[in-house]
Amino acid sequence: MNRRTTYLRVGQLGFGAVSLGVILFAWWQVTANGIVSEFLLPAPAAVFEAAQRLSAGYLGSSLTAHLVASLSVVLSGYIAAVLIGVPLGILMAWSRPVDIAMGPLVAILRPIPPPAWIPLAILWFGIDLPGKTFIVFVSSITPCLINAYVAIKEVPANLINAARMLGAGNASLLFRVAIPAGLPMIANGLRIALGSAWATVVAAELVVATAGFGFVIMSGYRNIESDIMAAGMIAVAVTGFIMNLLFREVEKRVIPWAEHE
Amino acid sequence: MERAGVGIIEADLVMDAGPCERDIRSAARGNGIRFQNVSMSFGGNRGGHPTLAVDDFSLEVAENEFLVIVGPSGCGKSTLLAMAGGLTQPTTGRLSLGDEPIVKPGPDKAIVFQTFSLFPWMTVIDNIEFGMRLNGVSPAERQRRIDYYLPIIGLKGFEDHYPKQLSGGMQQRVAIARCLVLRPRLLLMDEPFAALDAQNRTVMQEELVRVWSAHRPTVIFVTHSVEEAVFLADRIVVMTRRPGRIKDVIDVRDTTGAQHWRAAPLDQVMRRSDFQDLRGRVWDLIRDEIVIE
Amino acid sequence: MAGVAAWILVWWGVVSVFKVPPEFLPSPWQVAKKILWLAANDIGEGKLWLHLGWSLLRFLSGFMLAMALGVPLGLLMGHFRPAREMLNPLFEMLRNVPPIAWAPFSLLWFGASFGSQAFVIFVAAFPPILMNTQQGVRLTDKGLISAARMLGAGSFTLLFEIGLPAAAPAVIAGLRIGLANGWLALVGAEIIAGPGALTGLGFLVLVGQQNLQATITIGAMALIGIIGASLDYALCRLEASVARGA
Repeated sequence: MNRRTTYLRVGQLGFGAVSLGVILFAWWQVTANGIVSEFLLPAPAAVFEAAQRLSAGYLGSSLTAHLVASLSVVLSGYIAAVLIGVPLGILMAWSRPVDIAMGPLVAILRPIPPPAWIPLAILWFGIDLPGKTFIVFVSSITPCLINAYVAIKEVPANLINAARMLGAGNASLLFRVAIPAGLPMIANGLRIALGSAWATVVAAELVVATAGFGFVIMSGYRNIESDIMAAGMIAVAVTGFIMNLLFREVEKRVIPWAEHE
Repeated sequence: MERAGVGIIEADLVMDAGPCERDIRSAARGNGIRFQNVSMSFGGNRGGHPTLAVDDFSLEVAENEFLVIVGPSGCGKSTLLAMAGGLTQPTTGRLSLGDEPIVKPGPDKAIVFQTFSLFPWMTVIDNIEFGMRLNGVSPAERQRRIDYYLPIIGLKGFEDHYPKQLSGGMQQRVAIARCLVLRPRLLLMDEPFAALDAQNRTVMQEELVRVWSAHRPTVIFVTHSVEEAVFLADRIVVMTRRPGRIKDVIDVRDTTGAQHWRAAPLDQVMRRSDFQDLRGRVWDLIRDEIVIE
Repeated sequence: MAGVAAWILVWWGVVSVFKVPPEFLPSPWQVAKKILWLAANDIGEGKLWLHLGWSLLRFLSGFMLAMALGVPLGLLMGHFRPAREMLNPLFEMLRNVPPIAWAPFSLLWFGASFGSQAFVIFVAAFPPILMNTQQGVRLTDKGLISAARMLGAGSFTLLFEIGLPAAAPAVIAGLRIGLANGWLALVGAEIIAGPGALTGLGFLVLVGQQNLQATITIGAMALIGIIGASLDYALCRLEASVARGA
């Protein structure tokens, strides 16, 4: 980073800090002066206290326990979606018969939004880990599969031609050219899928759960504790942010040659 | 970034090829290429009219010859190259390399593409090595060939760079190197320097001559630059506009004699009146074929 | 289409060969019959049309609001750097909250029957519309802008006669993403609002589960899928026609 961009960065940070400060100040003023009832919008200080209550333990589970409850569902469903979605997408893109066979099924299931599966998943697998895992699986397999499919379909023809010219056979073309070439786009799909998995597990916990951040928010709503609701939402946001950050770091290490944002 | 003209190794440095597991070259059969009544048309399979890109093209290119094809845009010169490389099959007619028909691409018919087409996830070394790996060249032999070519093409010190970290000129050097290490019988170059700026282009033309002279594979080089054609070619094929036919074949060696001018620097050659005359002659042939669309 | 029919036949075959109980997985025929039944009989507050109408009304309100605010604000943020620098950190922060997590607050603020769903849809559809519009304006070809200024265009002309048309494809792409996000959020919000609403396709999905009637759940899911796909198709056509014009 050269000096000029450093100045730019500092300038942007300054602007950002000012605007966030203004928002925070407005939030504080609105609640402190009773313009908005604290039942509808908790004061910043109340949210801070609620966050402390949450980390000390809320509704029978510590903060870590809620986090683990949400994350274990995300990971089991997400890993299953990656392990099935990515190979299937690659296979569909590479082999026409597989594409013809599986394409229509994808076309049928894809337009159904993941939250719509929540009741059916409860009906089929119950409200515990299997049911939620299934919903997360459904929500994250689509980006895995679609991105893998498009990544392989859109490998530039000139790379394929270059490899054929160098003597690559069908297997080499797929494993040593098409898949590496598609890796940045596949990774992008995995990142979208992770975000989608996180959003979906929160949604599922809002509907039915006994632990997890979504459950915390919904309990806050039922008990008319808007400060707990806000603290729960912040916990969801921070966790999502950290997962995304970690993913990008791993991506940079694994695919050093790609253009990163 | 660009280290132009590095690695002046005598062009006639003889390299001991040595025995290797599967040598791609099979010199016994000859490395000439032959186009017999080759035509190519595109489209027309969905009710539209097919476009005739190449029409009844017949030509023989001798072993070790440097042939340049020039012509206006859309004259089918890149199509001819793709067919020679086995990437596409002609609609009618046949092509052969030595006495085998050309039916599929392979490392004996190496191609340098206009867009470089390096593998972005491989470093310079991996890109150069990839073709040799695919063809079962032993690690020791791979290393020998890399050690030989890396300095020649001026890439010493850039082994672990990714393509995106290199300038266009350097990327194209890598693309040329990955072809040369395969010891191809036929080297096909599709406007390889069109994406480079004028200075890089001149340097690369001169370096190509030097590197090519060491092993002299048969070359078909496609360009729309008349100057490039006249400087590099043993023979120049001038194409008509679409559908591409041979308009004229000019033997540059008739002008240069036994001592070809490409061994000298381009700027010197460009001052020669016989070079300028020949350039004018080829340019006049092409001028009639250019239509402003 | 043939492939789709084949998979529906597979579904049918599996259900009848393995004698799957209909409360677990009904056959396509049973689902189709149930959809027709819903059209004629009341469930919750009314017949199928009422649920469909409510869902579409909530969706359109939220989506239209997102469009009405997102496009102008995006233009403004794309065009004026201070606006961008002031507002972007805020949106960057809010982006980390999944839209559906707003459902409880919006229930609290706007009630279970209409406002809460519309608000969640707005929250889901707004960011992509805003971001794409902003990007579209910002990434307008500098050459175009220079050319327009050379011809004497002022700031106003630059924004509305150069920036907006140049950004149109990006804006429409943003609308498509916003539409998909919004439709997803609608279903989520309706399920979370749950029995409080007594209307909507999401409500039907939930009611089917609560009464152990998978036919209703799957029938409503099918309708949700079909409507979502049709909406996307419509915007896809719009995208294509704009691309032709550009």
